[in-house]
Amino acid sequence: MPTTLPATPPPGKKRIKTQQVVNGVPVDVEIDVDDVPDLSWGDNKKHRLLNTYLPRADGPAKTTGTAIYTADVRLPGMLIGRFVCSPHAHATVRSIDTATAEKMPGVKAIIPVALGRQVHFEGEPVVALAAITQEIAEDAVKAIIVDYEVLTHNVIADPSKPAPQRGGRQARGRGDETATNAALEKCDAVVEAEYRTKIVHHCCLETHGMVADYRGGATADVYSSTQGTHSIPGDAARTLGLNETDVTAIVQNMGGGFGSKFGIGIAGQWACRLSKQLKAPVKMMLTRRDEFLAAGNGPGSIQQFKAGANKDGTLVAVHAVQYALPGIGGSGLGSQPYQYKAKTFYNTLNTLNTNEDSSVAMRAPGFPQASFAMESLMDELAYKIGMDPLEFRKKNATNDAHRRQLDRGAKAIGWERRNPTPGGGTGVLRRGMGCGIGAWGGGGHAQCVVTLAIGRDGSVTVSCGSQDLGTGTRTYMKAIVAEELGLEMRDVLEKIGNSKLGDANASGGSTTAASLAPAVKVAAVNARKEMAKRIAALLGCKPEQVVFDIGKVIGDGKPLDWKQACAALPAAGLSVTGEWNAGLSGNGAHGASFAEVEVDMETGYIRPIKMVHVQDGGLPLNRLAMESQINGGMIQSLGMALYEGRVMDAKLGIMLNPGFGDYKLAGCLEIPELVPIIDDDDTRNVVIGIAEPANIPGVGAVANAVYNACGVRVRELPITPDKILNGMIRNV
Amino acid sequence: MPSTSKHQPKPQSGVSRRGFLKGVGAAAVVTDGILARATHAADMPPDAAALGKPISGPVEVALTINGQKRTVTIEPRTTLLSAIRDRLDPPLTGPKLVCDAGTCGACTVLLEGKAVYGCSVLAIDVIGKQITTVEGLGTPDHLSPVQAAFVQKDAMMCGFCTSGFVTAVTGFLNENPTPTLEEVREGCKGNFCRCGTFPHVFQAALTAAAHVKDNG
Repeated sequence: MPTTLPATPPPGKKRIKTQQVVNGVPVDVEIDVDDVPDLSWGDNKKHRLLNTYLPRADGPAKTTGTAIYTADVRLPGMLIGRFVCSPHAHATVRSIDTATAEKMPGVKAIIPVALGRQVHFEGEPVVALAAITQEIAEDAVKAIIVDYEVLTHNVIADPSKPAPQRGGRQARGRGDETATNAALEKCDAVVEAEYRTKIVHHCCLETHGMVADYRGGATADVYSSTQGTHSIPGDAARTLGLNETDVTAIVQNMGGGFGSKFGIGIAGQWACRLSKQLKAPVKMMLTRRDEFLAAGNGPGSIQQFKAGANKDGTLVAVHAVQYALPGIGGSGLGSQPYQYKAKTFYNTLNTLNTNEDSSVAMRAPGFPQASFAMESLMDELAYKIGMDPLEFRKKNATNDAHRRQLDRGAKAIGWERRNPTPGGGTGVLRRGMGCGIGAWGGGGHAQCVVTLAIGRDGSVTVSCGSQDLGTGTRTYMKAIVAEELGLEMRDVLEKIGNSKLGDANASGGSTTAASLAPAVKVAAVNARKEMAKRIAALLGCKPEQVVFDIGKVIGDGKPLDWKQACAALPAAGLSVTGEWNAGLSGNGAHGASFAEVEVDMETGYIRPIKMVHVQDGGLPLNRLAMESQINGGMIQSLGMALYEGRVMDAKLGIMLNPGFGDYKLAGCLEIPELVPIIDDDDTRNVVIGIAEPANIPGVGAVANAVYNACGVRVRELPITPDKILNGMIRNV
Repeated sequence: MPSTSKHQPKPQSGVSRRGFLKGVGAAAVVTDGILARATHAADMPPDAAALGKPISGPVEVALTINGQKRTVTIEPRTTLLSAIRDRLDPPLTGPKLVCDAGTCGACTVLLEGKAVYGCSVLAIDVIGKQITTVEGLGTPDHLSPVQAAFVQKDAMMCGFCTSGFVTAVTGFLNENPTPTLEEVREGCKGNFCRCGTFPHVFQAALTAAAHVKDNG
């Protein structure tokens, strides 16, 4: 949480600007940190392990099914929890009849919500229960009868109507509206357009869930599928009525979060309540349907623009009215004109609430939505003034990194092959290209405490309570230590995912690597210095003369192999800690996406052909994992552009597609050729997270490619064939 | 206008394939035909073999998993996935429950060498058949060619879909040892990944195929 700082940093501290993440949403803050000399990673090109292609440390475990996730945990006497959920979008619970369920053999606990409780979205839990098997738990769910008074609901956000029951957030104006409106009068070309995006879902393959293991007494273990190991014990302890320090959170592996897994959530709360009541371990994993209905989502958006440009390619004025659609919750959207500079702009942000589950952070919260709208707008303006959309972007981008990346991406996709006339050409199948840019703050902050232990037998263990969301945390922890001490990856053991290990930030806002990697580096440097002190006497040299070469420790020309050197340690070995060092992490990641698609002019079917994403991020800790992340960003962007979206029945107030059969994701048959490009022209030798920026500009790039291919501008995601065909009718 | 509604929840998965399947399992699967197969199989432990008529509750059977006969108590409606993950002791948790509806492939296992969705097969229907899970393909110290290729190409991120992909690719390569990229896509289309590992999965499948070709 941002806190109030004194006017000047206290003695021994220095003030730096960075980002902190609250519930996955990054906030720019200034913080005071220890004023220690900054360490350096050295030149990005001179690493032995970092910045190379490193296979994932947990690859063998994950490919053989031996990696254990929360969903896999089975404990002696463990019970299975399930929810009874509201089938109504808005209702009052009048009575709950559990009599039949209570008599079912194997049903151990049924906890209903208080009568009179209002539910505000379909899927909100009204009863939690636990039974000895999943089948019995599901039978019990079916046997419970809930009587509701159904209330009026609204699941369709409409900015022309007054805000619904829970009240929309008031407009927040940025920029100068009078000047913007005046400038719009004089532009060579003006575009007025409304862009819409639907509520989208994280679709973590492992649903939200917890195994709460409380068997009476003063302590409990909680296994949680979470993005924040240390975000769990506090909430769990409160629900269990225990001391926070007596609750251990365990997160060995977790099956995807994308911003939706902070804190214990409804599954965790009820797992803890049931376990406390039963004094037995309870596993509460959401069903896939629960997950869609009640585990959070990414907000939809409605963004209304009036914007103007001059024929010379100057973006003159942007007037943007944005509405976030976060269900019953709250959400921001990236502010406009996003990564472009307009001579004048005005931007407001409102919230339109509906009777749907609350939005939560989702991979670059609110930014893919904002980027899609702005990149579509930029494209429309470029075509209107008759300028190449690529050149128009380069002329108006705020950051030079984007100009560089646009050139690089254009080359990779073959922009010169692009047909400048939208829908131009002949034939049924027509191809088009589009592009977009995005940026993200990222950056690290002081929280991680890393312990590095070296045994007399030469074993090395690096540990921290952090978690690996699939981003490669374990792998870079090993690589940093191995490189510093002259070891190989296999020589270092890593331990994460336990709240009894050192403190670590939750993984949100692309801040994990930038916060954790520096602390690992500091621990490794400290270990090297401590080792040098012990070995120097043995080798007859000064500690600063000891060199750590590959598998060898050398002093005064005399080499010891690693195990010999470690034999000189005391019986307890060596244990040092490391904390974040400001000089080892940085802020500001930039990316540019390009897409090529093919549109069937008879059916409106869109076939993705190729995507390119150029991403900077300072020092790539592991190029292989970074390319995986960039691919993932492109694929999620593609999904949002063409396939994904929550579909609601306005009358019934229910979601029509709460399952993977109907909520369409990009799959094997949709994946185009993907070209992830690490922008090595960025020579900053600091660690910057890149998960979110890789997910931002691709949506607009795909939408613009569709327009270029077929001449139909679809302003509402997802861009489905029906919208293309309707657009063709309008165009005629 | 407010109205009232007495709601008894329907099966959670509505009319999903698996919901239907489980309903069938609960009501009707234990026909003479099926149990005849089961009871006549030497695999059946004595108490289960005594069951000659339809059953609706738990029954102990033996399944052949990764080359071993494993005794497990199932209900007629228990899916193969649930039998393996929730009822086998100790369990095999490589195959994952993700969609519970035969759409994602995270639960893929090999049945007589062919990839099937574990969530959409009833355990009682596979008595006496060879079942292979991802754990049966290799171990962390002795990876199968497909598993090794997945590691080499970084064909995983969070890893929750990985067991299913590894198994599906293994089953697919059994049928088509020398696929093209387009054939790999077809072979993997029953599985999906949310982190976005598809391109690396395709590369891994092609790498594994090349390895098998070179090394027999």
